[in-house]
Amino acid sequence: METTKPGLSDYLEFNKYRAINLMHIGRMAAKHGPFDLLRDMKRYPWMWDLVKVNRLLQRLVDGRSGNYRTAVAMVLSGVVDGVIELLEGIFYRSDRLILHEDLLPPEIFRAMGLQTWVPELLGILLPMIVPDSMQKYLDAAENEGIPPDICSLPRATIGVAMKNAFPTPLAVVSSNMPCDGGMSSYTVIAQQTKKPAYWVDVPFDFKSERALDYFAGELKAMIAWLEEHTPGRMDWDHLKEICDKRNVMAELELDIWDMIRQRPAPMAAEAVWMSHLWFFNVNPGYDTSIKLLADLKSLTEKNLAARVSAVPREKYRALLWNPPTLHYVDLMVWAERTYGVSLILDSMSFNRQPFIDTSSRDAMLKSLGNIIMQGPMARHTRGPAEMNYFPDIFHMVKHFDLDMVWVAGHIGCKNTQAMSGVLREKCRDAGVPLLVIDYDLMDSRITPKEGIQEQVGNFMENIMKARRLDQ
Amino acid sequence: MDIDKWFSKLLDDPCNELIQKAMDEGQIPVGYSCSYVPDVMLSVEGLFPIRMRAPGITGTELADNYLSSVICSYTRSLLEFALDGRYDFLRGCVFAASCDHLRRLYDNLEYLRRPGFSRILDVPHKTGDAAITWYTDELQGFAKALADHFGCDMSTDSLSKAIRENNAFNAILREIGELRRSDHPVMTGTEYHHLVIAANSSPKKTLLPIMEKIRDDLQSRDPLPPYRARLLLVGGHLDDPGYIGIIESQGGLIVEDRLCTGSYPGLQPIPETDDPIAAIARHYLTKTSCPRMMEAFPERAEDIVYLAGKCRADGVVIQILKFCDTWGVEAASFVSYIRDAGIPVLRLERDYRLSGEGQLRTRIQAFIESMGK
Repeated sequence: METTKPGLSDYLEFNKYRAINLMHIGRMAAKHGPFDLLRDMKRYPWMWDLVKVNRLLQRLVDGRSGNYRTAVAMVLSGVVDGVIELLEGIFYRSDRLILHEDLLPPEIFRAMGLQTWVPELLGILLPMIVPDSMQKYLDAAENEGIPPDICSLPRATIGVAMKNAFPTPLAVVSSNMPCDGGMSSYTVIAQQTKKPAYWVDVPFDFKSERALDYFAGELKAMIAWLEEHTPGRMDWDHLKEICDKRNVMAELELDIWDMIRQRPAPMAAEAVWMSHLWFFNVNPGYDTSIKLLADLKSLTEKNLAARVSAVPREKYRALLWNPPTLHYVDLMVWAERTYGVSLILDSMSFNRQPFIDTSSRDAMLKSLGNIIMQGPMARHTRGPAEMNYFPDIFHMVKHFDLDMVWVAGHIGCKNTQAMSGVLREKCRDAGVPLLVIDYDLMDSRITPKEGIQEQVGNFMENIMKARRLDQ
Repeated sequence: MDIDKWFSKLLDDPCNELIQKAMDEGQIPVGYSCSYVPDVMLSVEGLFPIRMRAPGITGTELADNYLSSVICSYTRSLLEFALDGRYDFLRGCVFAASCDHLRRLYDNLEYLRRPGFSRILDVPHKTGDAAITWYTDELQGFAKALADHFGCDMSTDSLSKAIRENNAFNAILREIGELRRSDHPVMTGTEYHHLVIAANSSPKKTLLPIMEKIRDDLQSRDPLPPYRARLLLVGGHLDDPGYIGIIESQGGLIVEDRLCTGSYPGLQPIPETDDPIAAIARHYLTKTSCPRMMEAFPERAEDIVYLAGKCRADGVVIQILKFCDTWGVEAASFVSYIRDAGIPVLRLERDYRLSGEGQLRTRIQAFIESMGK
């Protein structure tokens, strides 16, 4: 395998995507007009941080080259396009706007002709762009009595609600996923918005036919409730079309996953996880999502055919368990360059239930329900851990030929924290090196990026016996 | 009878003398950890339920290694006791998938020290018809598992008998509880909490004559000496009457409680019907007022304001276990709601183990003074 270093074409490629991102933002500004845009940026102050997205682009492509660099930039640019579309939705289609919890199926809302806003999106996107951007919202929630030990994602989301910085919806839809903190946050959001709210219930033991029927029934009831409380009407043909397209996306992703099993991997890190995070959770079934995944697959194929490693000098292959370190999202950029660590896959992307059966309405609802229940976070926070938590980790280690497991040990994720002791023993028994990074998902005051680097460095040098590549 | 003294001794030991006596008579103790577990199903002939507690725990060093220190201390304390072998007398444990913490306790115990009989009940987060049907199915499977493992009779007749006995026992407890609410109460909240916790953690059949005697004795008891304020105590799991004792030592008499481990709503009677499992499912799902139930915040909040009015409380004290996500968020919302209703409210965070007594006294004193009492 050959490796590449950033060259002139990489520089040009970076500027191309930087310009594309600016064009997306400019498109919104031009359409909205300066007066309305300024008014809305006052109403939604977090937009000031969103428009700084090219800072993130700069950090994520730093030191990367070739198709890998292009893929990362392309995925981020796709996300920017998607965010702009959502913003335009809240500007122009507020008469059909609902707030929905991030693990509920967007396919259904889109098929109903509803405009959506996912409250958690800000807590996911903003710290990646501006690491300390959510701190004011975390503080706002705490000042109103929300305990500081609740996961910072729902806590920050509550903070945004308390600062009245969400668009005003017609209704709120949530669930008991992925955790108690997330579930509870919607009690507050519903109160703050003073809008009708509906919750769907995901069983703990989600693998049985009984659970599937129950949850499909919950989705059906949710659709009926939305039809009663919003102008949205279910268009089953449209849902089938969306689901068919999502299936195409899933096929493309599986092809990419198949290729990254190769050592060294032809694609890695954000190109893999961020593409799943956004396009499967926010924009599933969009033509633009299919195109992006097809392009991503093509870049991966090119690297594979040319025997080019995504990460120059890939020495270690890692699994990331838990959401990525949002306030230091370029951790892998540093780890690649410093130790030759390649992040192959993560718990937020990996799933075992990618396809939707579109043969009937009930089949679609059951499949969508199954995707949610078997999907990231929902699957790993319920069902006995012996049945899905540990087996998934060790399956991924074996299937993707991984050298180690990194748990992004977000201090607010009690589900993960409470399994770390057993995981440590199981990894020891299986001979799989385990790193648990102590930090907070979006509050860099808990552990700054230097603290994360130090933990990774200690692990790599003491456990993996790695030598720094940059010295 | 000195209720505090007698019951303190009883509650000091997770395997107390009443449990020992029942076991000597061939009864089988089965532990459980949450109000969503239908303890009445563990009260059929041959079995008796014990709500798992960790009285006198001094630290959770072992449990912290597994559950970490950011999990609720009740859960950690149970794991610590389990790892110490303090629950070895239990022949089985039943959990509810009611919160992240209890789910992970179950996961850790399955790996570290699996009980002889181990079951986790899949409790819905809603109370509509579909949820009740789901929970009824769940309990039918549970009944079968109990019958298969312990050979106990889980028939309709047997369960109906257990419901009748349970209702009769709870009626006595409710009757005693009423005595707290009068204008001149004859018993303290601490004393009452002793009775309720004893009822959860001792065989009810053995305890029944003692409760009857207490009820009768209380009829002729003199009213309590003057107190400064009448308080309603709200929160989740609290199994240490000593905590209430500290509040009452400052003059704040607990005249009503709305706790997972308290009198309301847990002591309401279970309807006696031809389908006892369906009745049990409906009862436990709808009468256990926990913030895990996603849709019911307005009802829970209204309930507290209603209760405060009913028992003529001067104020409400909300106590929550630190790290409890559902209660943590809910308590913040409760505070605004109760305050908006014009009722003084104090929110306290606590550890499962009784600690920070001086600080608690100070907060209660300040709260009572802020009410002008």
